[in-house]
Amino acid sequence: MSALTSELRATLAGLAALLVPAGEGLPSAVEVGVDGALLDDVLRARPDLEEPLAALLRDVAGEQPAAALARLRSDERERFELLGLVVAGGYLMAPQVGAALRYPGQEAKQVDPHDVVSVIEDGLLDAVIERGEIYRPTPR
Amino acid sequence: MTETDRSALPAGERPDVLIVGAGPSGAVAAKRFVEAGMSVVCLEQGEWPDYARARAGFPDYELTARREWNWDPNVRRAPGDYPIDDSASDVSALMFNGVGGSSVLYAAHWERFLPSDFRVRTLDGVADDWPFAYEDLEPWYDEVEKQFAVSGLEGDPCLPPATPPPLPPVPLNKVGRLGAKALNELGWHWWPASNAIATREYGPLHACVQRTACPFGCPTGAKASADRTHWPALERAGVRLVTGARVTDLRLGASGLVEGAVWRDREGREHFQPAGVVVVCANGIGTPRLLLAANDGAGIANSSGLVGRRLMMHPFGNAIGVFDEDLESWRGPLGQYLHSLQFYETDASRGFVRGAKWNLMPSGAPLGLMLPGLWGEEGAWGEDFPRKLRERFGRSVLWGVICEDLPDPDNRVVLSDERDEDGMPGVRIEYRTSDNTRRMMAFHLERLREVLETMGAREIVLNHELRGSGWHLMGTTVMGEDPASSVVDPHGRTHDVANLYVFDASVFPTSSGVNPTATLTANALRCADALVGARRDQAVPA
Repeated sequence: MSALTSELRATLAGLAALLVPAGEGLPSAVEVGVDGALLDDVLRARPDLEEPLAALLRDVAGEQPAAALARLRSDERERFELLGLVVAGGYLMAPQVGAALRYPGQEAKQVDPHDVVSVIEDGLLDAVIERGEIYRPTPR
Repeated sequence: MTETDRSALPAGERPDVLIVGAGPSGAVAAKRFVEAGMSVVCLEQGEWPDYARARAGFPDYELTARREWNWDPNVRRAPGDYPIDDSASDVSALMFNGVGGSSVLYAAHWERFLPSDFRVRTLDGVADDWPFAYEDLEPWYDEVEKQFAVSGLEGDPCLPPATPPPLPPVPLNKVGRLGAKALNELGWHWWPASNAIATREYGPLHACVQRTACPFGCPTGAKASADRTHWPALERAGVRLVTGARVTDLRLGASGLVEGAVWRDREGREHFQPAGVVVVCANGIGTPRLLLAANDGAGIANSSGLVGRRLMMHPFGNAIGVFDEDLESWRGPLGQYLHSLQFYETDASRGFVRGAKWNLMPSGAPLGLMLPGLWGEEGAWGEDFPRKLRERFGRSVLWGVICEDLPDPDNRVVLSDERDEDGMPGVRIEYRTSDNTRRMMAFHLERLREVLETMGAREIVLNHELRGSGWHLMGTTVMGEDPASSVVDPHGRTHDVANLYVFDASVFPTSSGVNPTATLTANALRCADALVGARRDQAVPA
């Protein structure tokens, strides 16, 4: 059974709302559900994060989210970064965020081994070649 | 030593050579030995990389990479890793402990050292000369570039004329073209960069598909890491590779020769592997760790007192530019598009000696743009998050700066009180960046500011020293002619123990200002050739 209860997920949502609000045509972290199914995806990929995240959320439960974030950021850097990783990591897994960014994921596109031919034909290297050698030779 | 073909060695017999560490230096040496008909056992403390966990192309790619392919063994904590206390170091030591060694995680930037790198004392009056010159190493550069599928373009004026690499270079893409045009406008050097990345099918490698995953477990099999380029073929050729085998001691016999290695398996059982010759290839941290801990903790091959000293880690900074134009900078090899060595050679008027290399790279997948790391120590949160994500993603480029750091005996690796799961001491790194390096970095980043302005960047971020950047581990068993001032001779043999060798980058007298894998593999092959050539005279235990 997940250590991330509904109460802890609600705490996470309060923090995530401040960490990643909506803007620039992008949805907020809460809108895409970083406290819901995306959190499950994050923890499936990174089960090592579950216990430290749950402990962090238990510790800040009852605190005002803004105050909790400020305290973590200044005094508990590693835990703040853990929280940031979970929130941003889940957020960037959301299909609607990828669509808004026009990001197809790390799609495969094979390199063009003839690309350098066009570089040479375009004359991009001409000046570099004309200036000649720039190294110091081995002293005799 | 025998010259009969003993490469297919029955278990339990003494091999001609025992190699400690299955990284790139161990791999090229093993290849040479087995080709010469010698029997070889390699003990590797880690495991084979599990590319099923290389998730480029999947939504969880970046999250997974930060654990499974983390560069820092203190974070990754894989079974082959060991504790490294870096609290007294300006830079964290990064590595992969497993088959392929740190080539599994390197970005595959393939750079030959320059002629001046071998003559630092003669030319610049600091540090030391190497016991051989660039020209002496050239034939082995040519050979390892074939073994590591190097892609590049001949004719780079930063080097003497050289044999062309076997594959054409990676494309420049939009990012590379933008950088090249700016450097042309400034009248500064650039060249399509060399990478150990296949640009078409090549032996066991496939052509790169530009997933910007090079340093996070290449899922394509395009990057030339030794687990792919060497070890499968070496095993087929009869080399016995034992993984999960942590060497905890090297045992000296009464003759003063090393008789073999004590190692522990994953279940904690202790074994002894006898050997005619032992070659340590455990990187600039792991090699001194073993030599300092060996001989029941008394140390070995350390009459000079230099084992562990002169650690060099290449302080790394970067200059990042953000642009209005969509550059598709999430795509590409990562990997370098181009490099510039315009300000590589010493010019004393700049206020420092030696120099640095620049390389231009795409900025990659989105999570890395937002969290602490290569973009600096602060993440972007609150209203900054969507704004910076929009600005950076697909529209940013990264210039890396590798500064040469000069050897300093006070920068060193020592054993720590903390022990690994096999009871072997971990290490503590004491390492401080020098004033010369800091001046060098400041100069280079200001020049890169000019480059980024010329490229038309709307925002420029300069990171002078990134702590998590110690990819290059060098200098801790320095080579030289004089036993009083060096640990190994010019062919990697320890001055103190006639059948104990070191072939990795620990032997480097100086670090250069470029990536070291080309030179560490070329030198390992050179040393292996010397050992093979002199094997009739090689002393071995009775």
